[in-house]
Amino acid sequence: MAGRTEFLETIRHRTQAGRYKPTHAPDVAWTPKDEPRESAWIEDPPARFLEELEVLGGHGRRVTTLEEAREYVLALAREREAKLLVRWDVPELEELGVDRPLGDEGVEVALWRNLEDFREVAGRADIGLSTARWAIAETGSLVLEGGPGRGRTVTLLPPTHVAVVSVEGVLRTVPEAIGKYAGGEAGGLPANVSFHTGPSRSGDIEMSIFVGMHGPGDVHVILVG
Amino acid sequence: METQKPARRRETEDRRHEGIVSGVEGFNERGRKAARDKELHDSVELFTGKAVAARNAVLHALPEAPELRKRAYRIKQETMANLDRYLEQMADNVEARGGKVFFAEDGEAVVRYIGDLARRKGAKVVTKSKSMATEEIELNRRLEEDYADLDLEIVETDLGEWIAQLAGDHPSHIVGPILHMNRKRITEVLSQAAGEELPPDVEALGSFARKRLREKFLAADIGVTGANFGVAETGTVATITNEGNARLVTSVPPVHVIVMGIEKLVPRFEDLSVFVRLLARSGTGQKLTVYTNFITGPRDEGELDGAEELHLILMDNGRSKLLGTEFEEALYCIRCGACLNVCPVYRQTGGHAYGSTYSGPIGAVITPLLKGQKDAKDLPHASSLCGACWEACPVGIPLHELLLKLRNQQVEEGMKGKGETLAFKGFENTMKNPALYKISGKAGRLVQKPLKKDGSVRPLPGPLGAWTDSRDLPPLAEKPFRDLWKEGI
Repeated sequence: MAGRTEFLETIRHRTQAGRYKPTHAPDVAWTPKDEPRESAWIEDPPARFLEELEVLGGHGRRVTTLEEAREYVLALAREREAKLLVRWDVPELEELGVDRPLGDEGVEVALWRNLEDFREVAGRADIGLSTARWAIAETGSLVLEGGPGRGRTVTLLPPTHVAVVSVEGVLRTVPEAIGKYAGGEAGGLPANVSFHTGPSRSGDIEMSIFVGMHGPGDVHVILVG
Repeated sequence: METQKPARRRETEDRRHEGIVSGVEGFNERGRKAARDKELHDSVELFTGKAVAARNAVLHALPEAPELRKRAYRIKQETMANLDRYLEQMADNVEARGGKVFFAEDGEAVVRYIGDLARRKGAKVVTKSKSMATEEIELNRRLEEDYADLDLEIVETDLGEWIAQLAGDHPSHIVGPILHMNRKRITEVLSQAAGEELPPDVEALGSFARKRLREKFLAADIGVTGANFGVAETGTVATITNEGNARLVTSVPPVHVIVMGIEKLVPRFEDLSVFVRLLARSGTGQKLTVYTNFITGPRDEGELDGAEELHLILMDNGRSKLLGTEFEEALYCIRCGACLNVCPVYRQTGGHAYGSTYSGPIGAVITPLLKGQKDAKDLPHASSLCGACWEACPVGIPLHELLLKLRNQQVEEGMKGKGETLAFKGFENTMKNPALYKISGKAGRLVQKPLKKDGSVRPLPGPLGAWTDSRDLPPLAEKPFRDLWKEGI
């Protein structure tokens, strides 16, 4: 590609012209430092995660057993009068065992595998059920990795998103979460990693918050363990 | 589609020609008009006031914020010094992951690339997530005009941006595109799109938009996004939104096109931990934006959603001219909008007065740099040089100094009119001579009488007009301070 070589050559030439070296590094004080409210160390990450998620308008609960997690999902499906739940096709959710009881209650369950038209299924579903690779205590975020069986739109198109996450997966901070993917091998990253921090929202109309703009407005996280 | 045609504007002009490519009218006239618009002023005040308060609160709560700012500056400095190498690394990594890379010298090349791609794909619906880079090159308008035969339906999916598109308007703020519109106006625009009267409440308006845009998300053949950051080390592109629109634009259509300014690169993935935190806290006062999305190449083997085809367009469009110059720091900008919110000029005029894609202090700096000084010569003067912009900038760009350098350049290139040069010469002579100074005050008070109005002096006639063109002249006091002092005040 001739264009590419030329393009980069021009840039190389300009960066190395060396006529000017910026020296205005911001060495001045920035942002008043009256006593910081966020301590650098988070004592109880799962508790902090649930707190932050509530502040964002999400719902979280910590349970000790998988049965409790299952009950939570079933109760939610009833409450939302769900007709279709779409879920990630991963072993953790197989184990959760919601498919049969949901079916008994007349809720259709679609697995994220061999779908003819994923747009139709995810678009029609009332609830999307997934796990998350990590959760971040500091911000109440979920870290979702795309991949086979792990649809991106499962966590986006249905109005309700429920994630089941093991407490071991709760990290303290954003840099810690980003650090899990840093380190240099270009091949190592999944094609999609996304941090979801609470329900979808827009403030474009007079800065009044509208919840559930394009993604789910109803977000639930169940921490297990 | 009928609904995509711009609604008839009530009082404002068609703003789709206000990218970097189109000429910009003088700031001064627009600014003066805008500053008198009470409705606009209220809207701007509401947004900037809330934004500044939220930003301050959440940044104060981050003890390492000053340290992050320093790191951000250093990372960008390092990036620009080696930009050719990082661009090459970015391109190699995207290609290694199966993506396609195109280097675009200017907006024209971007329009051609996307237009031809749409033709090849037989695309009908293109969804877009808000992108200043595509605003800058007037992508939508040019695709619609230059590729009219494709009959493309191009849909902006950010709520504010969509409303702006429906109204034939363009964003007046990097982060809050329609902060200049009040609810009444928004209700008008959306009611027209709905074909029925919608109630003027956020719930109803938002729900209508969600429903209508959902159809578009699902029907899209191509998704176009900008990039908040690109990571050279991994070939990753970050798209960051609160609504989730970029997430849908990148997940549903089979083809994803990214238009990324070459300055958006960072070298390493770990650098993102500095930038995503600064961007969220400075831009919207959040700890983290709701959807912080990292895309590395097209969908993986076995995935059902996510784009099958990914095109990364690395766009220069005048940026590389700043490399290695005294204006290089203007390229460090991460488009958070914090400098707009604190700027005493922006807060009086709003964004449209700047006449182009980028407004506020960063706009006053980069518009003349990207467009050429001659086509935007008022802008470097649209500042009081108070430095609030620099103070607010999460990357520490010395915006006020860059503005001063631009003014300097104008003087050196003889761009200021003869009148102003003459006036300064006269001012200098008068100040050096006490007798002349005394007389000039008396003469001034006499001369200003016919010009005084509303507590400021009307534009001066003749060559002196160059001075009052760009600033309101405070009237001379009835009695000079010198005389009051003598009288014992």
